[in-house]
Amino acid sequence: MPAYTENEVLLQIEDVSKEYNGHLVLKKVCATIKDIKVVGEVRGQVVGFIGPSGIGKSTLFRIMAGLDQPTSGRVVIDGEDRAVRAGEVGVVAQDYPLFEHRTVMGNLMRAACKRYPKKESRERVVAYLAEFDLSAEAHHYPAQLSGGQRQRVAILQQVLCGSQTLLMDEPFSGLDPIAKKKTQVLIQKIANLDDKNTIIVVTHDIAAAAAVADHLWAMGRDHDAQGKVIPGAYIVETYNLIDRGLAWDPHIERNPAFAPFVQEVDEKFAQL
Amino acid sequence: MQLSTIFAPNRVLDRRSEQFIVGAWIALVALTWAFSPFVFLPKPGEVFQALHDLWFYQDLGIELFTSMRLNIEAIAIATVISLALAYLGTIAVFAPLVSFVGKLRFLSLAGLGFAFTLMTSDGHALRVSVLVFMVVVFFVVSMVDVINGIPKEQYDLARTLRMGDWETLYEVVILGKLDQVFIVLRQTAAMSWMFLATAEGMAMSGGGVGMLLNTSNKHFHLAEVMAIQIIILILGLCQDYMIGVFRNLCCPWANLAGGK
Repeated sequence: MPAYTENEVLLQIEDVSKEYNGHLVLKKVCATIKDIKVVGEVRGQVVGFIGPSGIGKSTLFRIMAGLDQPTSGRVVIDGEDRAVRAGEVGVVAQDYPLFEHRTVMGNLMRAACKRYPKKESRERVVAYLAEFDLSAEAHHYPAQLSGGQRQRVAILQQVLCGSQTLLMDEPFSGLDPIAKKKTQVLIQKIANLDDKNTIIVVTHDIAAAAAVADHLWAMGRDHDAQGKVIPGAYIVETYNLIDRGLAWDPHIERNPAFAPFVQEVDEKFAQL
Repeated sequence: MQLSTIFAPNRVLDRRSEQFIVGAWIALVALTWAFSPFVFLPKPGEVFQALHDLWFYQDLGIELFTSMRLNIEAIAIATVISLALAYLGTIAVFAPLVSFVGKLRFLSLAGLGFAFTLMTSDGHALRVSVLVFMVVVFFVVSMVDVINGIPKEQYDLARTLRMGDWETLYEVVILGKLDQVFIVLRQTAAMSWMFLATAEGMAMSGGGVGMLLNTSNKHFHLAEVMAIQIIILILGLCQDYMIGVFRNLCCPWANLAGGK
């Protein structure tokens, strides 16, 4: 495992709470993502954000994306002294929504033109299409794409728009093992396009998240003495996979320490 | 083709079987019509004779042209007004107004004819106004439903791509639902033919098939009534087809299958 440093804060969740109609969903959630530096490597950040279904992952997801406002607290990116706004963080939703009335090229151009002049946008889009094996689909409409192609277009759209922080909602959901592996490779590839690139993968697939992430956040709730759930989820555990020697390895599943780690998180998951 | 297949729900048939079923229905309707015991229902021969007379002695062709022109004019104006209203409805301050326009579809023209007559300068303007009103109140309701049905994810996508409110309106609502505009247009343009007789009946001097229909109906010339109705049906089907063609041309994504 190469030596690394973590200094600059890229994303900070500061005491975020969220209530819906008097029901507390999130309770003072705190978490930080720092820029990981590895000498001689371009290394982005990948955080796996796990938790049982219905616990509030999507609520925090939307707050981190700037799409919803917390009841209290804030999410800050790139050290700005204000809460994140919609558009500053890329979002790849579960069903990979795209503009159905635009071709792949049209969808990507719509995003790229937000950041670059038209000519440069086209050059970048063409380059990304080639790099991500989508050149043949450039003039296809989203309805003509396979699930994997759609996923890549949705991710590239956000990357081209200039979002260095990318939230992905359940990217492994419903995928077979081969497609899952491809998605993991894709996430790593996108993350490592730039040092500052940060991908937060929201999932309940512990093994898939652990295989791709450098840190894992586990969201859970407290229980009272009778074992009853106390409302208000927060990040109860953060796992540093780099320190455990379980990050940045494309064949991590072969590492003897990987399965016990997944087992450890799985047991924790059962108590969340 | 098995008989059980055509009587079972949700079965997908091959093209030949579909054509067979359509042919069988046409034959059944034609036979029922030809051998109907109802004395007031004109026989096919009488209707074709009425059609011949209407065409050669009562200028049916000219009246059809008049009605089609009126209809196209009214649909064009109604489409512009309805779309403007529906898109305005996304702006909070205009939403109640747009909702109110949609509620006007419950009103009867019987009481409104006088008001329209006072508000318009001539018979043609009166007919256009009545048709536009009748189409707009339904068009707006359908378009508002289309807009309300846009998934939240589409707005989220626009927001995450740093689009402002107006840009989102253009991308998600106006462009994104253009294919649905044609579907709504198809329905309301068909309704426009239904309202045509009423509108043309309010200013008979302007002619049109609606005027012919009213006159034939008044004099109990049922064969003529049926002949005109058949012509309107054929024209309506052609109109429907043409709107479908325009939809496919303008929105090539609309008929694509969902995913590979």
